[in-house]
Amino acid sequence: MDYSNQSGFRQRKLQPKVRMRGSAVDSGEPSQLFDDTSAGHNAGHSGVDKGPMVYAGQSLLSDPVSNLAMAYGSSLASQGKEMMDKNLDRFIPISKLKYYFAVDTVYVGKKLGLLVFPYMHENWEVSYQQDTPVAPRFDVNAPDLYIPAMAFITYILVAGLALGTQNRFSPEILGMQASSALVWLIIEVLAVLLSLYLVTVNTDLTTIDLVAFSGYKYVGMIVGVLAGLLFGKMGYYLTLLWCCASIFVFMIRTLRLKILSEAAAEGVLVRGAKNQLRMYLTMAIAAAQPVFMYWLTFHLVR
Amino acid sequence: MALFGLIQAAVLFSNAMAVLHEERFLAQSKIGWGVDQSIGGFGEDPGIKAQLVNLVRSVRTVMRVPLIAVNSVCVVLLLLFG
Repeated sequence: MDYSNQSGFRQRKLQPKVRMRGSAVDSGEPSQLFDDTSAGHNAGHSGVDKGPMVYAGQSLLSDPVSNLAMAYGSSLASQGKEMMDKNLDRFIPISKLKYYFAVDTVYVGKKLGLLVFPYMHENWEVSYQQDTPVAPRFDVNAPDLYIPAMAFITYILVAGLALGTQNRFSPEILGMQASSALVWLIIEVLAVLLSLYLVTVNTDLTTIDLVAFSGYKYVGMIVGVLAGLLFGKMGYYLTLLWCCASIFVFMIRTLRLKILSEAAAEGVLVRGAKNQLRMYLTMAIAAAQPVFMYWLTFHLVR
Repeated sequence: MALFGLIQAAVLFSNAMAVLHEERFLAQSKIGWGVDQSIGGFGEDPGIKAQLVNLVRSVRTVMRVPLIAVNSVCVVLLLLFG
């Protein structure tokens, strides 16, 4: 039983790999987003029907009727999965999301270092490759969603830990912290979108980019709360101050290239109300980060 | 729970934008919120006030019918569950 289930699962896992590679070839990307680590890749190529029969032959189910049933079931499952993927793709662009998760350890390490110490980094431009931005794995300036997602979850856990050391913990609190932090994230992204629309900025910042940038502050929050747990209130305030300053500088240097016009971004003082408004907008977005960082963590450290 | 607060705030905010009086606020009026659309021109940045008026106008047009449905659902739910 378990063996046939495994084969069914492996079938479903192999098929998306084949599909993704096909899409990569179609769009003309020379490099893949993800390395191919599937082991039984060649076995999956021969088709859906042969797979279950090969595995089933080795198990106790050598009954032709159950073979047929299994083949039918696995084809039905793959059809259902395809339909669901197609419908889901309309609401959440899954292929675009994959770009944001194409990270590796070196990138994550460098990016985390950049988030707490952005003062030595010189080149903040995102490198492009034939009009599409390079995957985050190859460029440390590209935004990604891995760090914000992980930092969000770690923040919830650290909040639970902090509340636990003060005997204020209960399982519902985790859910409340998670939903309130998520709501503040949504509000911030909506506010930034609204202000970008009002100032009529022609930028290639997508919504997911904004979610990624807003999620980077969770790293600073985690460091602050952990320092507060280890060293008390003074440690919390000092670390939070440091992280707020670095997030501020990080956001300004990253957003400056995206929001301001080319000339202004290089540091040349371009006069004009438009550029001034855009500079104010960048500074407002960057200044909102420390405010949120303090707002979401001060009740955790007593 | 905070998510429901957000949904409530969004519904209330859209209702507020939907009930704005067209002539008093969104047209050329004494309060001066309105913008003369013909002068705007292409290639020129419309400016914040014009963008805001455009935004409110488009939200009203888009959300008119869905808001009827959402408000009815809210009325029924509040009657049933308090």
